[in-house]
Formats: sequence, C-alpha cells, structure tokens
Amino acid sequence: MGDRGPAGALPTAASPAALAFPIELRGASKSFAGIRVLNDVSFDMRVGEVHALLGENGAGKSTLIKILSGLYRADEGEISINGRAVKFATPREAHAAGIATVHQELLLFPELTVAENIFLGQAPKTHWRLLDWQAMRQRARQLLDSLDSPDLDIDAKVGTLSIANRQRVEIARALSQDARVLIMDEPTAALAEADVQRLMDIVRRLKARGVAIVYVSHRLSEIFALADRVTVLRDGNHVGTLDIGEVDENRLVSMMVGRAIDRLYPPKQGESGESLLELRHVAYRNVVSGISFDLKRGEILGIAGLVGSGRTETALTIFGITPATAGEILIDGSPVTIASPEAARDLGIAYIPEDRGSQGLIRTQTISENVALANLKRLSTGFMVDAAKVRKEAENAIRRFGIRARGPDQTVRELSGGNQQKVVLGKWLATNPRILIMDEPTRGIDVGSKAEIHILMRKLAGEGMAILMISSELPEVLGMSDRVLVMNGGRIVATFDRQDATPEAVGAAMTRAGGEKAA
Amino acid sequence: MTAARLLRHETILAILTVLALIVLANLSDKFFTAENLLNQGRLMSEVGLVALAMTFVIVTGGIDLSVGSILGMTAILLGVFWQNVGLPLPLAMVAALLCGTLAGLGNGLIITRFKVPPLIATLATLALYRGLAEGISQARSVRGYPEWFFYFGQGELLGVPFQLWLLGLLTTIAGVILGLTTFGRATYAVGANETAARFSGIRVDATKLWIYTAAGFLAGLAAVIFVSRVTTTRSDMGTGLELDVITGVVLGGTSIFGGKGTIVGTALGLILIQALKNGLALSGVKGDGTIVVIGVVLIAAILAGALFDRNRGG
Repeated sequence: MGDRGPAGALPTAASPAALAFPIELRGASKSFAGIRVLNDVSFDMRVGEVHALLGENGAGKSTLIKILSGLYRADEGEISINGRAVKFATPREAHAAGIATVHQELLLFPELTVAENIFLGQAPKTHWRLLDWQAMRQRARQLLDSLDSPDLDIDAKVGTLSIANRQRVEIARALSQDARVLIMDEPTAALAEADVQRLMDIVRRLKARGVAIVYVSHRLSEIFALADRVTVLRDGNHVGTLDIGEVDENRLVSMMVGRAIDRLYPPKQGESGESLLELRHVAYRNVVSGISFDLKRGEILGIAGLVGSGRTETALTIFGITPATAGEILIDGSPVTIASPEAARDLGIAYIPEDRGSQGLIRTQTISENVALANLKRLSTGFMVDAAKVRKEAENAIRRFGIRARGPDQTVRELSGGNQQKVVLGKWLATNPRILIMDEPTRGIDVGSKAEIHILMRKLAGEGMAILMISSELPEVLGMSDRVLVMNGGRIVATFDRQDATPEAVGAAMTRAGGEKAA
Repeated sequence: MTAARLLRHETILAILTVLALIVLANLSDKFFTAENLLNQGRLMSEVGLVALAMTFVIVTGGIDLSVGSILGMTAILLGVFWQNVGLPLPLAMVAALLCGTLAGLGNGLIITRFKVPPLIATLATLALYRGLAEGISQARSVRGYPEWFFYFGQGELLGVPFQLWLLGLLTTIAGVILGLTTFGRATYAVGANETAARFSGIRVDATKLWIYTAAGFLAGLAAVIFVSRVTTTRSDMGTGLELDVITGVVLGGTSIFGGKGTIVGTALGLILIQALKNGLALSGVKGDGTIVVIGVVLIAAILAGALFDRNRGG
C-alpha cells in the first residue's frame, strides 16, 4: 500500500492507494425542523483503514452517513475528496465519487438473481447495446470469489438467500462500482455469530485492498477486532476521534454515554417463585416440537440458539400467532388454549417482537396511537376510545421509560431505534402482563438504552414478572438469564442453570449438528 | 396535533369545494338554488352510502370493486322476491338487503379465509354478482311498485329528500365509528401495518369481515333507494358505480395504500364531484368536458396532498 502518488493526482479507481485522504468532512452541521441533529462534526477516512463510528441511537451517526452518501446535504461544512471540495446533490453523485453504502435494510430486489442485483443499472452491454449476460455472470462470479464467497450461486434469486448472503451481494454490488469508501451501517445487527466472523474476514480483505471502510456497530468487540480509528458522537456532537490503541471498552462507553456505566448486567433481585407458564410437549406443525419447560415468577429464562433454531417460532406459538398443534400449555397450573394474540394478551402474556419496524410498531402512527393499540379495551368507554386516557397512558410510557420525544403526538418513525423499542415496551407493559416474552430485546440498540432495558428487565422480574428472553447475543443471554434453554433444530437440546452456563457449553449445544437430544 | 394533521387534506378540499361552488354559482343562475342543490343531494345519495363503507375498505388497504354488482343484484332480487316469489314488499326489501349483506360477507370470507388480495377477490365477485343479477332477471325489468314505496327515493321530510336524511345519519355514524371508536382504531391499524396490528392483539380478520359485510349492506340499501327513485328494476343497475365511489373516496384524501382517510374527506370529495358534474352541465359544458375536469381535479387534489405529506416528512 505504502507508496503515495503525487498530491493532486487524478483519483482513478485503479490506484486508490494514490490518495492519502480519500474523503474528509469538515465542520458538518445539520438541522431538521429547527432541531440540530449534527453539530460541527469532522470526520475523515484514510486509505485502507477501518474507521468505526460509534454513538447511541440519536447521536447523529445516521445523519452523518447520509451526508457522506449524498442522501442529505449538510447545512454547514464541506466535503472534500483528495483536498478538493465537492458537493453531492444526489446519492448517484456520491457513488460516482466512489462512495458506496451497505444499508441496514438491504436494498435488493428479491425477484432478481444475484448477478442481476449486482449489476442493476450498470450492466455490461454488448456491441448492440443489449445486456451482455456472459460478461455480467463472469464478473459477478469474480467479484464474489474475491469476497471469499465461491459458494454463493450467482443465478439464485436474492429472495431465497439468507440475510448474510444478501449482505455479501450488496457488498459485491458496492465493489462493482469501484467503491473506494464503503460505509457499512450496522452490518452485523441481523447476523448469527458464524456469519459475523465471515463478514469480519471480508472487511479485512477489503481493507487490505485499500478500501476505506466506515464501520457502524453497537458491538464493541467487533470494533476492537477491526477498527484502526474510532470516532464517537453524542447528541450530534463530535466527542472525539482516537486510535483504537488509545482506548478501552470502558472509555468508549463513557464517551458515548457521557457517564460511566459500571455494570453491564444488573444482579438478580429476590428469588424465583412458583411456575407461572408451563409447556408440555408443545409443537407447531414440524417447525418446533417436544417443547417442554417451566417459566417461574420472578425469573428471566433465556433461550439461546442460532437463527432458525426455533426460538422465535416457540415464542410465536406461546403468543398465539401460530397456535400450538400439539401438546399442552398451562398457566398457573391450569391448561389454556391460546388461539390468537388477543387470547394470549387476555391471559397476561405480552410479546415484544424481534422486528419492531414491521411487527412491533405502526411507524406511521403516533406514540399515543401505538401505545393504545394493545390496550384499546381498557382505554375506552363502551366502543368509544377515551382520548384523554390514551394521552395519559402515552405520557406515562414516555416518563416511565424515558422516551426521548417531543410528546405523545410525535410519529414513531421519527424516533431513534432505542426510543422506538421503548415505545414497544411501553405499549406492552401498559397491558399489565404477568408473562413477558422478549425477542431480541436490544437488537440494534445503543449501549446506554441497552443497559436501561436490562435494568428494567431485572426490575420487572423483581416485581414478580416472568420473563422469557430470546437473544442472539450470547453475552446477553448469559448475563441476564437465571436459566438458559438452548434450542437447535426446533427442539430444546439443553438446559443450564446460571452457574453452569458457560459460553463454551452453551455455544457447543447451539451448534451441535442435527440437534440430538441432550440430558 | 393528530386531528389537525389528519384534517389538512380535508381543509384543502373544503376550500376547493367552496371555490368550486362560488365559480359554478356565477356560471349559471340555476345552480345555486335550494331546489337544485337538494335534487343533487338526492342524486348522490346512492354513491354516498356506498362510499361510507368504501372509505373503511380503502383505509384497511383493501378495495371493493363488486359494490356496483351487489347493487344490481340486490335490486333484481327485490323485484323478484316481490313479484315472482310473492313476498310482501317490506319483507322483500328485508330479504333483498340480507342478500346484499351476504354478498359482502362472501367477499370478506374470500379475502380473509383464503388470503386472496381484495382486488382479485372483488374483481371476481364483480363478474359473479352481475352475472347472477342478469341470470335471475332474464333481461326483464320489474315495474308497478305501490305508491308508498317511492317515498324512499322520491319523498321528502321537512322539505329535504328522505335519502339525504338517511345519508346524513349514516355519515355521522360512520364518521364516529372511524374517528372515535376502538373499531376505527383497529381499521387504521390494519391498513397501516397489518402484521403489527395482529401482533398487538387486534382482530384483523374480524375487522375486515365486518367492513366488507357493511359494504354489501350499504350497496343493498343504495339499491332499494335507487329502485324507489327510478321506479323500476333492471339488471344493469349500478354498473360502474364502484368507480364513482372510489373516485370520491380517493379525492377525499383516503390513501389507496391504507392507514389514512376520514369520512369528512369522503363527504367533501363526493360533494365536490357532484357539484362539478351538475354545475358544469348547467353552464353548458358537454359531458366529456365534465369528465376531463373531474380527472384534473382528482390529480390536483392528490398532488396537493402528496406535497403536504412531503413537507411534513422533513
């Protein structure tokens, strides 16, 4: 890499290493509706470095990324490429300048093949201006091979691929445009552990090729494993940019949060009580089967397992979305039938779904409307919704969970991820549940909100609530759970008490092939 | 403020309607008379009744193309029950209404039980119900209804056409249901995000079933009034009604993607269309010219709405 070309040399895709500072953003500010979301932030990228961007939800990371990728224009400040000021009016212009973004929500076309997606809008043409399919497939193959993904079928429809594979397609797409800067917005948020490792390998490969990578993630372990430098934002302000060698985990967290967070996982309060929810050989078609466990009052029971192991499916069966096709569910020792989410709610079960955007919230509606949705019966007189009660309930939720919002009438989609999750919590805790199922309760949420949610979970359990928690983050499962169930292949393959639940033991049960029954 | 935000499109529409009324009143002195306006109200009642249910349907993100056919079928059944089966006329009315309601329930069942997209389901029943109407009627019309029956379509109460009272009453009820009740909240939720609604314990299928059934009922009610107004029953009654209804609802600001819309908007949309149709005709504009104007107004209103939406989005 080392040799640098003469200053001011024309940036060409062939020699990215010629650029000492591919892109620099100086003094960027941006306001929406009078609220300043980014305040005098500077950010630069060097050739072949991974620059991590950290901050709580709402800190301004997304805004910064959107300015770099041409989606927003900064009110103040300027972007320069190789020392020359540029303005991006559209994302297309940013692309042309070599900046590509892999978004959190992957923007691919499910009905088109891998090769078609990679070359959409820029497909190689033949002499007759027709699509050159052969060249397209060949180059798609090369690109994917260079990403260490020779197993990915270029003729498969993208809709049939796993999230991890779709992400690789998106990265290939970015590279096909000769990207010199690749922005990755929480690339591992939806990935299982094995896929995370693979993605990190890909990032290292790109780095070795001289691509500058902006890496946004809430997972500090990834940042320490990958990043060369880290920039921390808080409330739209630039807290600092440091070499990764100069910081440790605690320092980063306190930079992000503005205070020290001493313990990541709060201790258990009180003792677990009698069994509240019991499952006896419950099955749903052939998706999950033979599920038996007890959930006790005051207990946090964690379910670990890979994506597709049947964790979420078990929760959906308890919650009545996919009612059990066999077995027995008991609450307080008496058998119940849960045929719909409505029935589950009336039995005191609440479910915080894994996908808050599509399952948890109606993002086009206000906080009030969302909080009211699961509580309509209680918040109405006869058939008429009591607007005053709804408002009060929403205000309660905002206060109780510290939701950062202008008020109950703010539209939910304007809130940051952590605050949206708190609205989901507010909506379900307003139903006064006795059994709380939380599916990925802290996915894509910043460290501060995460700690708040963990403390809240402990508090609720301390008050006698029974909590079933599903999480892909092993540290979270081990840190929060009083007992851990491990699912594999639609069955429970192992149960651990807190003291026996080591990462090695749980991890082994999660990944054991075939999911054979353990004691 | 939620109410203020929802009413934004309606405000534009109200201003547009008032402007249209002023312009039309100046174009023709026969337009802005009590007699003409009440008569126009009479003429828009059938579309208006169906549009109330259609607003709910479209707010859930669905569509009902079969309402015109249900109207035709109910009208035919009314005549057949009375003349051929020999039921007393009041009983025939009730029976025909019941059949219209069942036709709506049929739509709802196809859509909820078999997960057929509403567009496809009601496109099929549009043909099915119209076919039934034609098959039952054998291309014969039914006439000779007793004098009292014409009250529904031609009579007046306190100087105002009977069906306008009915439309006013049902509009108020529909407005209250959509705007203020738990059922209304469920309707918006289903249209805005069906999955999230289901995950919140909303009875999504039941909500839809009620709404499509109500659409059948109101199309049946419109059929009875239609027959009473024109004194005869024919199998092609209500052909194309669905398009007038949908135009009114969409002009009223209800999003075809669901989750947004009000009864006030629908009422304003219908009034605007009827005023344009009548006022332009009275001012000597030919029929095709009127259609062009309505098309332009529809596009303008939707663009204005979209513009406000974008400004708000920030």
